[in-house]
Amino acid sequence: MNVAGYTIMGIPNFVLLSIVIIAALVFFVNRVKYLYIILRIGKEDNRFKEIGKRIKITLKRILLQICVLKDVRVGDLAGLGHAMIFYGFLCFAFSYIFMFGRGFIPGLSFHLLGASFAGYFPLILDIAALMVMIAIVWALLRRYVVRPPRLETTREAVIILGIIFFLMVFHFLMEGFEINIDSHETATLAFVGAAFAGFFNNMGFEKTTQEALFIASWWIHVLLVLGFMVLIPYSKHLHLILAPFNIFFKSLGPKGALMPILNMEEAETFGVSNIEEFTWKQLLDLYTCAECGRCEINCPAHLSEKPLSPRHLIHDLKVHLLEKGSNLLRSKNGGDGKTETGEAAEGYEGKSLIGDVVSEDKIWSCVTCGSCMEQCPVSNEHVDKIVDMRRYLVLMESKFPSEVQAVFRNMENNSNPWGIGWATRGDWAKDLGVKIMSEDSNVDILYWVGCAGSFDERNKKISTSLVNIFNKAGVNFGILGAEEKCCGDSARRIGNEYLFQMLAAETIEILKNYNVKKIVTQCPHCFNTLKNEYPQFGGEFEVLHYTEFITELIAEGKLKLTKPINKTISYHDSCYLGRYNTIYDAPRKILKSIPGVKLVEMLRNKAKSICCGAGGGRMWMEEHLGKRINEMRLQDALDVNPDLISTVCPYCLTMFEDAIKEKDVQESLKSKDIAELVEEAME
Amino acid sequence: MNVVVCVKQVPDTESAIKVKPDGSGIIKDDLKYVMNPYDEYGIEEALRIKEKFGGVVTILCMGPGRAVETIRTGLAMGADQAVQLDDPAFEGGDAFATAKTLAEALKGIEYDLIFCGKQAIDDDLAQVGASLAELLRLPQVSLIQKLEIADDKKSATVHRQVEGGIEILKVSLPAVLTTQKGLNEPRYASLPGIMKAKKKPLDVKNLAALGLSSDSVGCAGSKSIITKYTPPPPRAAGKIIEGEGPQETVPKLVKLLREEAKMI
Repeated sequence: MNVAGYTIMGIPNFVLLSIVIIAALVFFVNRVKYLYIILRIGKEDNRFKEIGKRIKITLKRILLQICVLKDVRVGDLAGLGHAMIFYGFLCFAFSYIFMFGRGFIPGLSFHLLGASFAGYFPLILDIAALMVMIAIVWALLRRYVVRPPRLETTREAVIILGIIFFLMVFHFLMEGFEINIDSHETATLAFVGAAFAGFFNNMGFEKTTQEALFIASWWIHVLLVLGFMVLIPYSKHLHLILAPFNIFFKSLGPKGALMPILNMEEAETFGVSNIEEFTWKQLLDLYTCAECGRCEINCPAHLSEKPLSPRHLIHDLKVHLLEKGSNLLRSKNGGDGKTETGEAAEGYEGKSLIGDVVSEDKIWSCVTCGSCMEQCPVSNEHVDKIVDMRRYLVLMESKFPSEVQAVFRNMENNSNPWGIGWATRGDWAKDLGVKIMSEDSNVDILYWVGCAGSFDERNKKISTSLVNIFNKAGVNFGILGAEEKCCGDSARRIGNEYLFQMLAAETIEILKNYNVKKIVTQCPHCFNTLKNEYPQFGGEFEVLHYTEFITELIAEGKLKLTKPINKTISYHDSCYLGRYNTIYDAPRKILKSIPGVKLVEMLRNKAKSICCGAGGGRMWMEEHLGKRINEMRLQDALDVNPDLISTVCPYCLTMFEDAIKEKDVQESLKSKDIAELVEEAME
Repeated sequence: MNVVVCVKQVPDTESAIKVKPDGSGIIKDDLKYVMNPYDEYGIEEALRIKEKFGGVVTILCMGPGRAVETIRTGLAMGADQAVQLDDPAFEGGDAFATAKTLAEALKGIEYDLIFCGKQAIDDDLAQVGASLAELLRLPQVSLIQKLEIADDKKSATVHRQVEGGIEILKVSLPAVLTTQKGLNEPRYASLPGIMKAKKKPLDVKNLAALGLSSDSVGCAGSKSIITKYTPPPPRAAGKIIEGEGPQETVPKLVKLLREEAKMI
């Protein structure tokens, strides 16, 4: 049928179509341009390096839908629904070239791409449309009947879902009418369209009526598509356009590394206290968020009823950005988008970022466990935003939970958060015959004990276990003793970048002086900091967590675990070993190689594991708000009824032991570090 | 209002203090030095006064080269300038000699109020503040926990904790006040504060600059002399009393408390 030449009130269709397309594009482009200009008030950040790698990641995540499918499991199949809509929509996006095209070019049809394409593509479209409709009904059921906790029902979502649903309906209507109009193409594989066609004929519609109805359906379809296009940049469905960009521009550095503040001596402000002090990429995150809530239902702060929800954080920041951004632009007379940060801060007397938009309680509730980032389908980076705001509070305002001040002082004066005399750091190893680097630096491995392993009574036992294990395996190792200092993990994550960089610089110098090549750490926080963050300051060393090292020793036959431990054991993933460094298998491998051990997994494990509550410097803060995270995590363990909960992190162990005492379950559940189990099992 | 805060650099409380074998002093090799914690309250209070009334906060510190670090800490907190009294002749002085040296230095500084920590945590003498007030012929109140400056800035109301209650005093200014825990929560220096502190004026004065004779300061000018240091006796290990139930353990405990600990 000749759509282009059809006239409505004497005006040819292609003229009318041109007018609506131009109108829609004006709205769309204006909004997108506006969003772009606001985005550019953010600070610079070069995210254009390694283009090839970026393209690969983007294609993999988007085209294969890894972004949402990785998350699919019994109880949350939404990712599957998303993939159905996504693939369905891809087919339709392609078909729209033809749909719009025929408004201009008479006779344009799928035949342009060959007879077999014209034969099969309508079938594909029908299947796609059905798939999309099923997914939409399912999505609506989820929103109004099932109501999973992570979804917040919004009118916007219903409008969008409705539009997509009716796009499919009008696809079928158009198809049905067209089959009847162009009756020479009788044999169509489009079975739904054919069914509609049959239905219309049975209704006794005249051919001219059907032609008119076809044009009407085509027009409604066109208007829905254009309306959808205009709506997208005003809604959370902006992720349709921006997710590929956001994933493309994601951080490619090690997941566990926070960005350093450079040129601390020259800078005048530190951290972020104004929305425009975030980088453009951090602002792009805000636009891209689809509010799916995956971050929220995996956030230990949110789950323990603290004020922080990563989803709301991002949403609130987005609302604030648009509000303040438009104010800034207005005060610049619609500026060119190159607003300088300093000027931008002027002329806006609205809400303050810290306090009004994001409360300090929210900022301090974060355990930096990284689960939000791990779960986010569009690769948003939440933790660095929180740390940026902490940096402002700590470095500029000296505002932080009061108990933290002593921790900073202790790190400054005695290089450990407990504030125990620095000279006594190596005392735990006094009677163990451990080499101290200052006395004998001829070693293969530097064993990095960490503050907890050096000063905390419970964790000193684990240090002793590791020494015994290394000795048994014949490892030539040494410790720094009194020369070791806090790695600075907590300081950095609390926001005290200055203290962190001081500690890092001191340690890197010491390690370089001893020409250290290979380091084995006891604590996953030290591990992450030494491995992923010290290279930012020139400290390049081979760093292993002890679980990796012990796995090597076992594989090489240097360590044999022969004594059985007949216990059911569950393993709690440390965030900084697991999520941030993707080491999920080494600890489990060790447990499995101990005879008699029955390993049971908690429901939330590996990438979905929940923090013990001590990350991000929370180890050193009181937990005044909500429930206790460690007790929540303990419940996860109790649910699978193990005899023993095993950890590989001094913080996790402390948090578990506290929770076990608090909940008074000492009789039924013990907690041990894997090093202790290895020591017990080795021959 | 111009405020002077007298500050001392002391070994960190966690440092292991080792006495020299001959008892003539302590071994200073492994010591980590910090600002005397009681002096921090003085700096914080001075900064709060400055924030309210304006003026200049000056840190006055007698100490060797390493004391600069402590002075910078105070400047980073927000003090405006510092005077360091550094001369080998000042070393080994008692509270009197120290107060005398500080008093001399104060002649060159404008002040409406002087803070000293209630005592330094190294020698615990708690005498410098009082001696300084005497030498300057100023009123003094020790161990203050609350301070309110009158609007005319001519007097202040101070609270000090005494057994069973709080003593409230009015004192005319200028005065010497010694500061005690509870007065305030000393701030943590901001990073811009730390950076600025590096450029703030620090005036180092030696014996000659103060115009004092060497026999009136330091060890020579002291009224008391430390003759010997002895380390405290090593603490004995704790004892766990074993036995079945309180019937058995309590009598054992009583016996030990009476005969060994001589407590009852």
